[in-house]
Amino acid sequence: MDWVFLTELAINGALTGLLYSLFAIGIVLIYKASSVPNLAQGGLTMLGAYVVLALSHDAGLPLWLAIPLAAVIMFGLGFGIERVALRRLAGRPVVMILMLTLGLDIFLRGMTLAVWGGTSRSVELGVSYEPFFLGDIFVSRIHLVGAGVALALFAAFMVFFRSRTGIKLRAIADDYMASWSVGISVERGVGLSWALASVVAVAAGVIWGEIQGVDQALSLLLLKGLTVAVLGGLDSILGAIIAGIILGIVENVGADFLDPLVGGGSRELIVAAVLILTVMIRPHGLFGRHDIERV
Amino acid sequence: MSIQNKSDAQPILSMNSVEVLYDNVIMAVKGVSVQVPKGSMVALLGSNGAGKSTTLKAISGLLKAERGRISRGEIKFEGEDITEMLAQHRVEMGICHVIEGRRVFEHLTPDENLTAAAPKGMSRSKLNTEKERIYNHFPRLAERRNSASGYLSGGEQQMLAIGRALVTQPSLLMLDEPSLGLAPFLVDEIFGIIKRISTEDGMSVLLVEQNALAALEIVSEGYLIENGRVVMHGTAEALKSNSDIQEFYLGGGEETDFHNVKHYSRRKRWLS
Repeated sequence: MDWVFLTELAINGALTGLLYSLFAIGIVLIYKASSVPNLAQGGLTMLGAYVVLALSHDAGLPLWLAIPLAAVIMFGLGFGIERVALRRLAGRPVVMILMLTLGLDIFLRGMTLAVWGGTSRSVELGVSYEPFFLGDIFVSRIHLVGAGVALALFAAFMVFFRSRTGIKLRAIADDYMASWSVGISVERGVGLSWALASVVAVAAGVIWGEIQGVDQALSLLLLKGLTVAVLGGLDSILGAIIAGIILGIVENVGADFLDPLVGGGSRELIVAAVLILTVMIRPHGLFGRHDIERV
Repeated sequence: MSIQNKSDAQPILSMNSVEVLYDNVIMAVKGVSVQVPKGSMVALLGSNGAGKSTTLKAISGLLKAERGRISRGEIKFEGEDITEMLAQHRVEMGICHVIEGRRVFEHLTPDENLTAAAPKGMSRSKLNTEKERIYNHFPRLAERRNSASGYLSGGEQQMLAIGRALVTQPSLLMLDEPSLGLAPFLVDEIFGIIKRISTEDGMSVLLVEQNALAALEIVSEGYLIENGRVVMHGTAEALKSNSDIQEFYLGGGEETDFHNVKHYSRRKRWLS
């Protein structure tokens, strides 16, 4: 057994996993603040990347300006989604809202196709593709950058959810009615969670767009992101980070063993198995909140 | 600061012939008029499904969340018409509704529950003073301020729900069945604290209760609601000595023998 190679697989898996976490943080944010599983995070991530491209490549702004500007635009869009679509559904069964987010995802895919076409474009972030060696181990620079962004967002949101606004968002997720009763604006809280998730989508869109190109396939990251969010516990930011690392390693190392046996394509199998097993064995994930039952 | 002169001031809350529809068809409240004088404690009594909770939701604005609306009548708070106002603005004006069933934020600690209710613009030091004041009223909460609220006992959760409402600085506190499922000594403790806060701060209280006996001990007046209508209104003393109230809500009275209690009689007497 080649231990250096195995370590390299594990480390690169962990880094890729953190990029899944970056994506999953958006799902967790919305779930943590409104108990709604957001199936549109893939569409938002893709849109985030397209908005950055539109500002930089089409409008000619430098990237350091285009990315924050895109974040601001997407922040506003997040509030808009709540105002236009979600507000009417407040208090309705979650499955209705789930369908709405799915519809939104499909809409965003169709819209970007109509506006920007389906040709894959590159972000040209300017991160070098020169190999980077940690000792004997090769790691990709862009993955390292993305992992750093994921960890920075993780730290920022850990602090945020202990702030007064963050506590109010968690209160909303716990009980809409009780939140209204003490004067919390549930509508604004849900809007804020979508706005923050849309900003996270810009970060994930730029990094993933740089890695695999910007096209409609970006929205398919939802499958891995959702798996990470569910494994982490849907409402735990820490869970999203740890579950991302776990899924990344399992997928990378597992695929190396399984691919020769099944002739490729085992990554998707591993991800699907993790998702299904989590839901069956530990539905609240690694760090998710339990339904509290007093005895 | 207690309010000495209750009678000549305008009522803090006045509700005039309010009618409530759910889903545009079901009429839950059929013309209820209730007045709460400033600084006093008033009870809404009545059996299950009489329309007491709906009346409170009409006042707090929580009806909208259950697809209900006020179809007739008006509600005035401190002289201002609030009939169409959003729930959160009513809280800012000083109306806070402790909803039925001790709905604390279960996954938050008691301390976070209190923080969640902090009004916009309340400074950190003011919030801390408020928290200390609430922990002084409810010492049991102080001991468990950092554990998950879902694991508190029923009594502690009710205290937390009341404490959380107090953080919003209400001038009218509305409580929906705070005694439900609690041991009698806890009911006495909680009612005693509410009474004390009301007298100390001049806070008005509107209390919905099925436990008429306990409620009439602390309020100054009460309304009896049946079938979405007010069927009786009087001082606590008058209600306590009323033979119908004794018969149906306090248990006992003149007719202690259940064979002689005519169950159809209350509708007949009050609604005709």
